[in-house]
Amino acid sequence: MVRRADMPPKEREVLVERERERCATGIEGIDHVLNGGIPRGNTVLIAGSVGTGKTSICIEFLVHGAISGENSLYVSVTEPTTKLLKNMIPFDFFDERLMKQGRLRFVDLPAIYEKLGIDEKAQFSFDEIKMLVDTIAGLVDQYEVKRFVLDSLTSVSYRLEDRELIREFLLRLGMILSAKGCTSLLVSEHNPSEEGYSRLGVAEAIADGVIVTGNLERRGDLLRTLQTVKMRGTSHSRAKYVIDLTTSGILLVPLLKGGSIPGGA
Amino acid sequence: MTVTTEIADKLSALPEASAVALRLRTDQYFDAIQGMLDNFAGKKDLEIVYVTSTIPSQSIIHALEVLEIPLDHIWFVDCISQIMMAAAKRHPHAIAVESPTMLENLMLKVEFLLRRHRDRTALVILDSINSLAIHNNTKILSEFLHILVNNLRSHGAYTVIFSMREYETEDIRNMLVLVSDETIELGHDLKALAE
Repeated sequence: MVRRADMPPKEREVLVERERERCATGIEGIDHVLNGGIPRGNTVLIAGSVGTGKTSICIEFLVHGAISGENSLYVSVTEPTTKLLKNMIPFDFFDERLMKQGRLRFVDLPAIYEKLGIDEKAQFSFDEIKMLVDTIAGLVDQYEVKRFVLDSLTSVSYRLEDRELIREFLLRLGMILSAKGCTSLLVSEHNPSEEGYSRLGVAEAIADGVIVTGNLERRGDLLRTLQTVKMRGTSHSRAKYVIDLTTSGILLVPLLKGGSIPGGA
Repeated sequence: MTVTTEIADKLSALPEASAVALRLRTDQYFDAIQGMLDNFAGKKDLEIVYVTSTIPSQSIIHALEVLEIPLDHIWFVDCISQIMMAAAKRHPHAIAVESPTMLENLMLKVEFLLRRHRDRTALVILDSINSLAIHNNTKILSEFLHILVNNLRSHGAYTVIFSMREYETEDIRNMLVLVSDETIELGHDLKALAE
């Protein structure tokens, strides 16, 4: 038997690709970028500034999951889910029965805070973080969730005083979800003028993947972009793509470079 | 042979997924449109995605109404109305791209329309390479055409790229040769005879 270390790099890569089961996002362009989808159980940070499509990506990921029979859970922190559902893109493939059947669920995190008696707290303690993660894990177990979204991690992080607490929250959450075979997207509201992709730069180091959405201004035009910066467990494109949020789903095309010379674009 | 029948005959002779550069004079413009939309696409029962950066989609729609060409299977990606600050009300078969410089968005809108009609073979018309060249430099335009045409081939769609002879440059000619399988020179023989 040939040892993996003795294999040619290309064969080794193919083997690794085969070994990790994929969670196809259902967003054709993103699955193409990721060579088939997110490695199952990965925790992925979706980082980007306002209006760049983070929430739409997350919802489409969950809807496709629900359609393919994977129970999906969206935990909203900043926006009440009733408002969110009113404003979401009316995807052609969305079927309200998915919610009635319990395949697709929306939960407001503030309601969980209230239930846990921590809604008045400006800052969470170590024990309260543990309690919060355990509650989320309980929901994942109860509903047999295979796809999870937290929108947004940034809002939760504002109640976590320092790097250590953010780290603790993410490590604990990521570990529990991954152990349950649940693939997760954590939304990070990221200001492009700041360094890193999340509050205090903790999440990008811990997350298995980082997908960055952005606004690119080119000669007065504002383009929505998407770039996969990191994804453990798969080879992937690191190129920048232009996206469009449509009723047929999120579409991607490569960003044109115009020869990559000054004035080329 | 009229321009209308000439173009329909020449396109009909091509296999699906062909990319064609259509070189025409400005006086042949509306006849060429009629030949493609009515005589060719109508008979082949194709879904048409008409990308216009030359004149607003509304002007083409008016012309099609006069010619009594039904719009049921014709969809417009309009790259010029928005930049002209034209009337906000748009035909239900027209999608706007903010500016002809947003070439990626143009590709995205074409992709969107093709996905909505995946079960039908499509004809995608790019009208015109010359007007896009006013707003974009050759490098980005070549890159755009290369990606668009190959993507359309993968969809099995016919692609027709208009090039107005009066406004052609050497760069444009080279670009068209690079991406297209065939060049149709409309009324070329008739013009030669007239001269």
